[in-house]
Amino acid sequence: MNGSFQQWLENCGSPPGLVACGLRQPDGNLICRGIEAGCPAEMMEKILAHFEDLRAAGFMGDLAPRWSTWNFDQGRVRFIERPDGWLLGLVARHGSAAAHGLDLLSQEFLSLPPGG
Amino acid sequence: MAQETFTPLAGGNWEIHCAASPNAALELLNQQKMDLAVVDVNMPLLDGIQFLDLLGKRHPSLKKVTLTAFATEEKRSACLAAGAELFIEKPRTDNEFQSVFAMLDDLMNWAPRQGFQGMLKRVGLMDVIQLECLGRNSSVLEIYNEHVFGRIYIEDGNIIHAAGGDLTGERALQQLLALPGGSFELVPFEPPPQNTISGSWEFLLMEAARKRDELASQAVPGEPEIDPKTLTAPVVASTRVVEMLICSGQGQPLYEENCPDAPGRAAMLKKISEVGARFAETLPLGALDRAELELSAGRAVALIRPDRLVFVRVAREAAGS
Repeated sequence: MNGSFQQWLENCGSPPGLVACGLRQPDGNLICRGIEAGCPAEMMEKILAHFEDLRAAGFMGDLAPRWSTWNFDQGRVRFIERPDGWLLGLVARHGSAAAHGLDLLSQEFLSLPPGG
Repeated sequence: MAQETFTPLAGGNWEIHCAASPNAALELLNQQKMDLAVVDVNMPLLDGIQFLDLLGKRHPSLKKVTLTAFATEEKRSACLAAGAELFIEKPRTDNEFQSVFAMLDDLMNWAPRQGFQGMLKRVGLMDVIQLECLGRNSSVLEIYNEHVFGRIYIEDGNIIHAAGGDLTGERALQQLLALPGGSFELVPFEPPPQNTISGSWEFLLMEAARKRDELASQAVPGEPEIDPKTLTAPVVASTRVVEMLICSGQGQPLYEENCPDAPGRAAMLKKISEVGARFAETLPLGALDRAELELSAGRAVALIRPDRLVFVRVAREAAGS
């Protein structure tokens, strides 16, 4: 089951501008990939852990976003959480193919059947 | 093949480079200045229309032409809307190659105009102003459509004057930014007849955005008619601000509008700011500018600045509702 989400992420490939990506499983285990040089998988693990802290603090309150996008000077991070507890994190450079494809990937991830 | 065919036709006047992928093309464009990009509509990973859009954002002065083997009216409209100057069917014979080259050559002989040019609907006037202010640039933004001509003056990254119709100052700025469509050009700075605007450009733009949304919520469906003196332009409603909160950099609420739980939202902004700083330490992406939340019936934005934190929630509404 878990492999299906991982497989989906691998099938997404590495479009230009994708810095890193990662999945957090409902049980808290992480599957992360660093793509850009100098951005190891551990970096994505930290990012997902920071986001998890934020989420656990209930910061989104009543808003219940479908996804959130964090825009930085040189790129953005997208977090998409499914109702079944899977969380996807994507880091992309501004203006890149990866950044342009974030919405599409987010929609796809949300529409995957339970268990991928 | 394009390189082999076009190089002799260029007669030494043009240097022709080929890229096998959008990424390779972007690398080429980063390495040296190009005058024209000829884009295949059907490309792997990123289609030509998206790529045109990307080129428009990253290389706004670059002229763009699309080529396709399967031309349709839909593709043509999409390419032209994405910024292509020409939409051409792929040539097959020598004569067709010569005709295409003549078209490209002719396109490049068009006299370039000074400054940037864009469409309000496509580029986002607010974005251009924001870029000018962030870059601490000095420029004049001339905005026009069939009814209206106006100017916004930016000096050293500050909005100092706006004029349009009978209006000047903040009111002119707000009405110009609320126009439903038109064109603009960024031209070299010249001092305005008077300085009518002061204060933080972020607040000015935020207030203008609020005003625009307010106008949109009062919109009458149909062809907008703009009063050239007052610049009042009824626009078709698409979003409505439902909640806004402005806090100090420490999360102290300073201003709120329809915010049901200001302390809760302030705490959320503070938390986003803190976590954003942790992300920034971990990622090679610079500082956090804002977090955007995609909601089921709208969108929320948390703008993070050292001296202020802003939360705005907008609702999407059907046109005319």
